[in-house]
Amino acid sequence: MIDLKRISKWVNVGGKPNFILKDVNLEIKEGEFVSIMGPSGSGKSSLLNIIGMLDDSSEGEYFFLGQPVHSLREKQRSQLYKQYIGFVFQAYHLIDELTVYENIETPLIYQNIKSSERQAMVADILDRFQIVGKKDLFPTQLSGGQQQLVGIARALIGKPKLLLADEPTGNLNSRQGEEIMELFKQLNSEGVTIVQVTHSEKNAEYGSRIINLLDGRIDNFN
Amino acid sequence: MIKNFFLIAFRNIFKHKVFSFINIFGLAIGIAASLLIFQYVRFELSYDRFEANSDRIYRIQLDRYNQGKLSTQWAAGAAGIGPIVKDAFPEVESLARLRPTNGIVAYKNLEFREEKLFFANDNFLPMFSYSAIEGSIHGALADVNTAVLTATAAKKYFGNENPLDKIITVNKAASYKITAVVPDPPANTHLKFSILLSFASFVAQRGPEVNTTINWDGFFAYILLRPGTNPKLLEKKIAALVQTKWSDDMKKNGWNMVYHLQALPDIHLTSHYMHEAETNGDGKAVYFLLVIAMFIIGIAWINYINLATARSIHRAKETGIRKTLGSLRWQLIVQFLFESLLINTLAVILAFLLILVCLPAFNAVAGKSLSLALLATGGFWTNLAILFIFGTILSGFYPAFVLSSFKPISVLKGKLAATTHGALLRQSLVVIQFMASVLLMVGTFTVYRQLHFMQHQDLGVKTAQTLVVKGPRVLDSTYDNQLSNFRTEVLRIPGVSEVAASTQVPGEKVDWNAGGIRLVGADETESRQYRVIGIDYDFLDAYGLKLLAGRNFSHEMSTDTAAVLFNEAAIEQLGYRTPQEALDKRIEFWGKQYTIVGVVTNHHQESLREAYDAHIFRLIPDAEGYYSIKLSRNSDTWTNTIASVKQQYKAFFPNNPFDYFFLDDHIAEQYKADQQFGQTFSLFAGLAIFVSCLGLLGLASFVTSQRTKEIGIRKVMGAPVPSILVLLTRDFLRPILLAFLLATPITWYVLGKWLENYAFRIPLTPWLFLGPIALILVVALLTITTQTLGAATANPVKSLRTD
Repeated sequence: MIDLKRISKWVNVGGKPNFILKDVNLEIKEGEFVSIMGPSGSGKSSLLNIIGMLDDSSEGEYFFLGQPVHSLREKQRSQLYKQYIGFVFQAYHLIDELTVYENIETPLIYQNIKSSERQAMVADILDRFQIVGKKDLFPTQLSGGQQQLVGIARALIGKPKLLLADEPTGNLNSRQGEEIMELFKQLNSEGVTIVQVTHSEKNAEYGSRIINLLDGRIDNFN
Repeated sequence: MIKNFFLIAFRNIFKHKVFSFINIFGLAIGIAASLLIFQYVRFELSYDRFEANSDRIYRIQLDRYNQGKLSTQWAAGAAGIGPIVKDAFPEVESLARLRPTNGIVAYKNLEFREEKLFFANDNFLPMFSYSAIEGSIHGALADVNTAVLTATAAKKYFGNENPLDKIITVNKAASYKITAVVPDPPANTHLKFSILLSFASFVAQRGPEVNTTINWDGFFAYILLRPGTNPKLLEKKIAALVQTKWSDDMKKNGWNMVYHLQALPDIHLTSHYMHEAETNGDGKAVYFLLVIAMFIIGIAWINYINLATARSIHRAKETGIRKTLGSLRWQLIVQFLFESLLINTLAVILAFLLILVCLPAFNAVAGKSLSLALLATGGFWTNLAILFIFGTILSGFYPAFVLSSFKPISVLKGKLAATTHGALLRQSLVVIQFMASVLLMVGTFTVYRQLHFMQHQDLGVKTAQTLVVKGPRVLDSTYDNQLSNFRTEVLRIPGVSEVAASTQVPGEKVDWNAGGIRLVGADETESRQYRVIGIDYDFLDAYGLKLLAGRNFSHEMSTDTAAVLFNEAAIEQLGYRTPQEALDKRIEFWGKQYTIVGVVTNHHQESLREAYDAHIFRLIPDAEGYYSIKLSRNSDTWTNTIASVKQQYKAFFPNNPFDYFFLDDHIAEQYKADQQFGQTFSLFAGLAIFVSCLGLLGLASFVTSQRTKEIGIRKVMGAPVPSILVLLTRDFLRPILLAFLLATPITWYVLGKWLENYAFRIPLTPWLFLGPIALILVVALLTITTQTLGAATANPVKSLRTD
C-alpha cells in the first residue's frame, strides 16, 4: 500500500541542510498496524506527515496504492488523500465553532457527498462510537477522551483505508488511552491499515510492527 | 457545503462579538452614508435630464468683453441673438426665448407677488417636453396677452374653477388670458416658473427691436439642435457670424461678445453667471461629498481587512484542520468570502435601519428633501448592489487569500503565532485611514472658520435691525406723492428711525448692469461696465455708507438728478487712484451726462465669495425696488411696528401685497449653501473618524490580547504600568503620526484650492491644522487606552497561568 523509496527531508539552517529524514525506505502493506517510535526530534512526525501527504519530501519516491505521490499535482493528491486517508491528532484539532455532528460531517462535505447520505453516515458512526447524546455539543464542552473519540470518528467517517495517528493518546490519561488503543485494534481487525506515532512502548505493542527512528534514519526492522 | 459555511460564519460572528460589531457597524455606517450621498449626488446630476430632448438642447450663453478684457458673463444674453442664430443656421430646429420678470398678479380679489414669472415664446413648452393639463401646449403662448399657469399657480388663483380663458392681470397694467395649465416644473430643473406670459406680449409692450438688438442683455435663449449636429462646430459658426455682422463696430468701440453653447444638463452644476434663472448647484461641493462617501466606505472596508487579517491566527487552526480534512484552497477562499458576504449582508440590513432612522436628520443637516421614495428608485438599488458586491469581494478577498494560504502542518504545530503576517499592510491601511481623517477634520474646521469669517466680517454697510419691504408694482401717476406720504407716515411710527428707497438692498446680485459708461470726452473704447443701484436721499445714512470725498445727494441741489456717487472700486475702474481726483468728473451714461458728486466706501453687496464690485449710485428718489426701514434696537416692539408699517403700505399702495423680510436674514440666505455644505461635510467627516476609531479599537484590542503574556512577563520583571502603556501605544502612534505627516501637504493643497472660491478668505495657517490633528490624536489615544489600560493593570499571575 505504502512504498517509500530513499525518502529524505531536510531544511536549510544557516545555509547548511539539516536532515530530518535521511534515506528512509519503508513498505507498509494493507492491513498492517504500524507503530513509529523514537526520541523527540527523530523525525517521526515528519515521516507521518509525508505518508499523510501533508508535507513533501525533499528527495525520494513515494508510491501510494501504486500511484507516484511525489509527482502528482495538488488536486490529484488531495483526491487520493480525501478518498483513502484519515488523520488523528494529539491535540484532537476539532473546529471549535462546529458541533460534534458538524465536525464529523465536514470531511464528507469536501468529498461532495449528498446531504441525505451524509446524515446516514454520521448517524451511523455516532451510534457506533456511542456519542449520539453528544452530537449537538461543542468540542469545548467535552472531555479530552471524548474529543479524541470525535477526532477518530471524523477520521473514519470517509471510510479510509489508512488511518494515520500522531500521538493519539498523548493528551489523554491512561484509561482513556487504553480505550483508544482498543478501538484502533478493533478497527485494524476490520481491515483498516493504521500507522501511529507514539512515545509509549505499551501503545506500540498494540501494533503488528514497530519502526524505530533515530536521527532521521530507520534503526532496525522487526 | 454552503450550509456548513453559513453555520461557521454565523458562529464566528457571534463568538467574536466585538470584532463583528465593529465590522458590521462600521460597514453599515459606511454603506448608509454612501447611499445617502450617492442619492443626493444622483439628484444633483439628474438636473434637466428628464426632458426628452435634453441632449439636444443648448443655452446660448454670452461673454462680453471690453478692450479684450472679460467684463460680464451672462446666463441670459442679448435679446436678438436667439432669432439671429435660428434664422442663420438650419441645424437649429427650434428656439425658446424667455425673459425673466416679476410682478403682482391678480385675479378678482386675489393678488400675489410672483417672482418666477417669465415671458416665454410658444416653442418653450414643447421643447422642454411639457404636457398640458388643460388646453394645449401648442399655440398657448403664440398670441399677445396669453398666459400659461402651472398646476400650483392655477390652484392658487382659481381653486377648483377652470382657469382656461380667464383673465389675470400683471401689475394691473396688462391683462393675460389663460390658455393652458401645465404640471409644475420638477424639482430637478434649473428653469422653474410659476406663470408664463407670451413673449409676443413683451414684444408688443417694448417694441420689435427685442427681436433684433444685441445691446440689451437678460434674455434666455435655448436652442434645440437637429439630431447629429455638433454643438462645438455650431459655436464656431456663431462666432464667425458675430464677427461678420459686427466686427467693424467692435473694432471701433473696443468691445466683443463671445457666445457659448451650454448643454442643458450641465447648467445646474457648472453655470454661475449673471441672471441665472435660479442659484445653481455647486459642482465642486457635489464632488467633494462624493469623495467623502468614498472615504467612509473605504475606511470601513479597511477595518474589515485589518481585523480579518489580524485575527488570522485565530482562524489559522481552522484552516489547517480543514486542509487536513481534504479542503482545497479555493474552497477555503469561498468559505471566507462567504463570511465576508454574511457580514456585508448584515451591514446592509443595519444600514437600512440607519437610513430609516437618520433620513430626517440628514435632510435637516444637508437641507435636502430626500424621502423614503428613494427606495423605489432603480439607482438606489444599483448603488446598493455595487457597494455590496464590491465590498464583499474587495474586503473579503485579501483576508480570504491570506487565511487560505496557511500550511496545515505549521499552523497545527503552532508555528504561525510568531509571524508578523500582514502587519505592514495593516499599518499602511491605518496610515491611509488617518490621512483621510486628517483631511476631513481639517477640512471641516476650515470650512467653519471660513463661514464664521464671512458672517462676521464688516460688510461696509449697517444691516442690523433693518426691515425691508418689497416695493409696490401696481402703480399709477400719483406714485411719487404716495411714496413721499408713506415715508412721512412710517417715520412717525414709534421705533422707526429711517426709511430709504432703493432699487436693490445688500445681500443680492445687482441686476442693473450698465455698459458703455466712460468719462465725457473719452474714446468709446474706454467704456466699462458698472453695476448701478438707484437710491434716494436717505439711503447712504440709513446704511451707514461712508463718504470718502464729496457729498451725498441733496434735496437742495436741483441738479442732482444728473449726479452720481461712485464707490472705490468704481473710481478705480474709471482710472483714478484717489477719491478726490474723481470728484466733479463727468461721465457718459446711456446718452446722458452725469457728474460724480461723491465717492463712497466699498461694501459687500454680495457674499464674500465675490470681490468688491464697481458700483454707481444713481439718484432715484422714487425707487420702487425696496423700502428699507431701520428699526429700534428693542426687538420686542417689532411685531407692532411691522403691523403699523403694513397698515400704511396698504393705505398708500392698494392692490399690492405687503411682502417684507429682515435684511440680516436676506444676507444670511447667501450663506445657506455654504452652511449646509459645512454641516454635511462635518457630519460625514465625524462619521469617517468614528469608523476609523472603531477599527483602531478593534486592532488595539486584538494586539493587546496577543501580547497579554508578554505584558505579564514584563510586569513580573518589574515594569510599571505607564511603561507598559507606552509600550503598547507606541506601535499605534507611529502610523498615526506618519499619517499626519503625509496628510498635511495634501490637505494644505486641497483646502488652498477650495478657499480660492472665495474672494475674501481666511489665510491657511498651521493653527488650522494643529487643533484638528490634536483632537484626532486625543481621540485615537483614548481609543487605544481603553484597551491597553486593562491589560497593563491586570494581575500578571493570571495571564501567565492561563498559558
